[in-house]
Amino acid sequence: MTIRERALLIGDNPFHGISHLSQERSRIRGDTPTSPEYAAKLISIAAENGANGFMFSVSDTTLSILDILRKNGNNDGLRLYAIVPYAYEYVRLAGALGGVPGLAKKLVREIVFSGNFRAMVSGLNGVVRSDLASLFKTYLLYEVSRVRRSAGGKAELESVLLHQLITDLCLGLSLDWVFKFYTEFLLKRGITPGFNTGNFALLVKKLKEWDINLKDVVIAAPFNKVGFQMVPSKEECEKALAGLPKPNVLAISILAAGYLTPKEAVNYIAVLPNIKGVAVGVSKEKHANETFQLLKEKLLHEVG
Amino acid sequence: MLEKLFYDVFKLSGDKLRTAVVGFGKMGVLHAGILNLLPKVQFVAVCEKSALIRRFVEKLFNDVSVVDDVCKLPDFDLDAVYVTTPISSHFAVVKSIYDLKVASNVFVEKPLASNYGEARELCDLALRLGGVNMVGYMRRFSVTFRKAGDLLNQKVIGEPVSFSAYAFSSDFFGISENSKVCTPKIGVMRDLGCHAIDLALWFFGDFKVNNAEIDSLFRGDSEDSASFEVETQSGVCGKFDVSWCVDKYRMPEVGFTVEGSKGVMRVNDDELELRLNDGERFRWFRHDLKDSVGFWLGAPEYYREDECFVKSLIDGKDVEPNFFSSVKVDLVIDEVKAKAKRK
Repeated sequence: MTIRERALLIGDNPFHGISHLSQERSRIRGDTPTSPEYAAKLISIAAENGANGFMFSVSDTTLSILDILRKNGNNDGLRLYAIVPYAYEYVRLAGALGGVPGLAKKLVREIVFSGNFRAMVSGLNGVVRSDLASLFKTYLLYEVSRVRRSAGGKAELESVLLHQLITDLCLGLSLDWVFKFYTEFLLKRGITPGFNTGNFALLVKKLKEWDINLKDVVIAAPFNKVGFQMVPSKEECEKALAGLPKPNVLAISILAAGYLTPKEAVNYIAVLPNIKGVAVGVSKEKHANETFQLLKEKLLHEVG
Repeated sequence: MLEKLFYDVFKLSGDKLRTAVVGFGKMGVLHAGILNLLPKVQFVAVCEKSALIRRFVEKLFNDVSVVDDVCKLPDFDLDAVYVTTPISSHFAVVKSIYDLKVASNVFVEKPLASNYGEARELCDLALRLGGVNMVGYMRRFSVTFRKAGDLLNQKVIGEPVSFSAYAFSSDFFGISENSKVCTPKIGVMRDLGCHAIDLALWFFGDFKVNNAEIDSLFRGDSEDSASFEVETQSGVCGKFDVSWCVDKYRMPEVGFTVEGSKGVMRVNDDELELRLNDGERFRWFRHDLKDSVGFWLGAPEYYREDECFVKSLIDGKDVEPNFFSSVKVDLVIDEVKAKAKRK
């Protein structure tokens, strides 16, 4: 793998006020940089220190960040890994809008007002024929167009990843057609299909069973020294990782939500096989600077 | 009778437990996703009232049947049914399941019913008809609360003297009074506060409500935040604060501070902290408490909960929290409502 292929990504969790270590800790420290301007500044600092991409859930917040980066001219060559849908926001909205029908109405309104003609036609087809694949296609076209509009032409949309909750739900329900459809649809559009999962070992096993070429996809999954969120176990995940045909894993939660120091985290990741890159969230300028310098030194150095 | 017993035993000793989910909203989908992966379970049917959702669910699965009414479920020879419909319909749905002999084993998402009277009646039915029953108070399967329960039982902080509990979310934070969004009619107590009440009953035993306040933020009859004080049978005083309009609670969170004769314990969904009077301090995060599961969907608690229910079916043993322990939560909520001064 070349240095160009190695992805050192800034993660967006801190920009949504998320701490997987403890929600209370995040509140008390009050350090969540939820202002898009500040988040864009952190991304620029990280990029100056080795980061070459941004992994984010597609939401109003992250689209605003992309807008700012584009307007400031800080998006040149930035590699984008977009996660759709922003599931927790949709779950929250479903609760507030009277369940799935209320949420569906809101989404339809947004797609219509987005003016994306292809998405609208596909969506209409989906509704009339109750065709899930058409609706899925509509939704993907809508999200891709939103990202491209905000990011501008200089940034590169490398991959669209299915959100962890949806990936794992489809995995649980054995909906192989979703994985196949999603993979084929994005590959045709020159975007690498991705899956964000909390069940890495099972996902790899199932993708093999369903004849989905693992060389065609990227997988974002937790990998860290303490085995935090590595399901069913650290050993099983490492074994599945070693069995991949090429480096196509984006390691997330490498700091185990702040439980590990960056040095401890990187030392573990650096010796794992088949890691395409890492995504790390930063909430302070100092972190953006130091963490990505360390990642650059340790991970780009290791690339053969 | 003997024939039925033999049949039940035979069914359960067969390959897989046949299960169905009634109500295919977010919790129904989540449980279906977990059940489908449990090795001794076969997910065979969905019962969903909404024609729109039914239409899509039919296309989603090849080998799962979809029906529109509980009365069509007896045809499926089910071992267990998950009820994940809106809270207001729990009573009618569970009663139909028992009356129509759809299955003798029932899991109901929390809370058991929309009032104590209904919950009591469901307990009577369950007692009469047998089978395993469970209510989805999933926080009992959280590693932090389990550890807290163990430490309280071991009297690590001595005898509990008092506690304060909260259940907060930001689901309706920042929504103006004139917004089209309205908070669910069932109210914050049964939606969110029930978790804190269930845990308190689990930790400290039964209690009575001394005084209470309920606040409506959006319309006169909505129930959007509540605070109330209780006293347990052993004299431990407790205070609860519940709201779905609090900033910076992106995920709903439940927490306790327990003052004991030998120290203080603080616990929430993510961490557990002990401060003992002798100066010793301990802190555990999920990382430290073996939070791994066989399959992670939503939160590890859901997998443990479903695994526990299925195991109890196979072993033919009772499980906690069941209808008989959960009915107490509905009783406390009704007492709070009866005693509450509305702001």
